[in-house]
Formats: sequence, structure tokens, C-alpha cells
Amino acid sequence: MKFVHRLLLISALLLVSAAGIFAQEMTKEDWQKQINEYTAKRNDLRSKLSTLQAEVDKLKTEDADKAAAVKKCNEELLALVGANAAAEQAFAARLDQIDSKLNELSRLSNQDLWARKGELDNVQKMIDDARKDKLSTLPKNYDRIREQQNRLDALRNALASADLTKTYTVGTWAKDRDCLWNIAKKPSIYDNAFLWPKIWQGNRDQIKNPDVIKPGQKLKVPVKGDLTKEEKAAVRSYWSKKQAAAAPAAKPAAPEKK
Amino acid sequence: MKKTIAGLVVAGALIAILAPGCTSRPNEEELKQLEDLKAEVTSLDREISAKESEKSALARAVADKNAKLAQCEKEKALVTERIKGM
Repeated sequence: MKFVHRLLLISALLLVSAAGIFAQEMTKEDWQKQINEYTAKRNDLRSKLSTLQAEVDKLKTEDADKAAAVKKCNEELLALVGANAAAEQAFAARLDQIDSKLNELSRLSNQDLWARKGELDNVQKMIDDARKDKLSTLPKNYDRIREQQNRLDALRNALASADLTKTYTVGTWAKDRDCLWNIAKKPSIYDNAFLWPKIWQGNRDQIKNPDVIKPGQKLKVPVKGDLTKEEKAAVRSYWSKKQAAAAPAAKPAAPEKK
Repeated sequence: MKKTIAGLVVAGALIAILAPGCTSRPNEEELKQLEDLKAEVTSLDREISAKESEKSALARAVADKNAKLAQCEKEKALVTERIKGM
């Protein structure tokens, strides 16, 4: 009886394992089916690759042709303005110079910009000169110059609308030694005593005699710069009056004839 | 009865063991042929993918140059007009 049980068990195990092996192994039919399937797929892919290669080759030729056409067009564009690549570079360098000058001026305070306002005119001249060059008609240069002009105009407008007048409250002679000469000499004012006439002329409403200023007076401090014609004339007039006033005192009075 | 069942099971097991041996199977060479074919298909798939990328890049490059060319032609007309006005 036991023998029959064992035989049954072994047979069942053999049956199961044989079924597994049988299921895993490929039959010739399956192989042929897969061979056919993959062969068809390969042929299809080969054909697709061949088509793609032809398209890529065509695009490569087209790309090279377009590159040549772009190059030719750019050369024609330069020929229109009678320039070559070197002249174009030189012109770009001129525009760089203008940009650099504008950058420098843009960094200045309004006070400092006022003192160097002549440089704004120089930049305007540089821009005007650049505009006379045919190279300025090339769009990239044209737009750049227009941008530079806008920046320059903005600087001028800022200068025009800025309140450039500082004020200074006069201290006492005993403590501050304040007179127009000493005030102009202060580093926070002009750092230059010889510019004192600017303060005088800027405050004619309250300074009649530049030798007399009063503690507590609020003086306007005009923007630093060279003396104007009017200021120089006022100084000359001041000194001649001063000399005239000092002359009779310097000369001893002639004794009266009896 | 039990003996009959046992006999059937044993016969079934013997058939299961012997039956696959009678079925036709591909030999090693044929199996290698199939593997090579699969590898070729995988390789072709990769090549096609690379080629498609190359094609797309080239198409973009051509489109870019077309735009540059159109822009250049436009600039030529503009410059001609500006020079006349100088």
C-alpha cells in the first residue's frame, strides 16, 4: 500500500516538473513565428532608417546652402554701406567709447554732473559724428545709437530737473571764522577759496557787501564750476572799489598850503 | 480501484516526460539566429532614434537660417532707404 502511495507521489511530481519544462521550452513553430516577426520588423526599420538618412542628407545640403546665402546677404549689406568687417569693428569700437562715457557720466551725482556738463556736449558730438557714418544705418548700430541718444537726453533732463542748490548757514566769526572766502574753501562747499564770488553772486539779494555776512544767514551755494563772466566782472569791480577806498587812506593827506 | 487510479497517474507522468521529447525544437544555431535578429532590431531602433534627433536639429538649424536670411533681406531694404535719406 505504501509503495502505491509513493509511486503516486513521485508520478505527480514528475508530471508537474515535466509540464513546467515543456511550457518553458520553445517549439520550432514558435521560433519560426518569432523569426518571421523580427525579420519583418528589421526590414521595416531598415527601410525607415534609409528614408531618414536621405532626409538628413537633404537637410544637411539645405543647411549649408542657407548658411552660404546668409553669409552672402551680410556681405551685400556691408557693401551697401561701403564697409568691410574691419570698418564695422572699428565703428563698433566708437560706439563702445560712447557707451563707456555715458556709463561714467551716469554714475555721477547731479552736482558732479553739473560740473562736467561740458562732457555731455562732447558725447552729443560723438553721437552726431557717428550718425554721419553710413555704418550707422545698419539696424544694430542704428538702434544702439538711438539708445545712446536716449541715455544722453535722460542725463540732460535729470540735470535740468534736479535741485542743484545747496544751502549753508553762516556761523560766527569767533567760532567758525565764516567769511565768503573761508566758506568757499570748505571741502564740503567748493574746496576752493577762489570760488567765493559764486556764493556772493548767487546771494545778491542778501549780500550787498561781500565783506559783510551775518551769523544765521542762509546762503545758497551754487553748483561748483568755473567762474562765469558775470562773476569775474563782479570780482574785478569789487577789487577796484576796494583799492579806490583804500587809496586815500594809504596816501597820507597832503598838508594844506597856507 | 486505487490501483487503476495509480496506473493512470503513472501513465500520465510517463507521457508528460516523454511527450516533449517528441516535439520539434529549434537547435542552438537557430536560437542564435533569433537572438542576433533581436539584437539587430534593438540596434536599428537606437539608430533611428539618433537619426530622428539629428533630423530635428537640422530642421531647426535650417529654420533659424531662413529667419536670418529673411531678416537680412529686410535690413538691406531698410539700409537702402536710410542711405537715401542721409
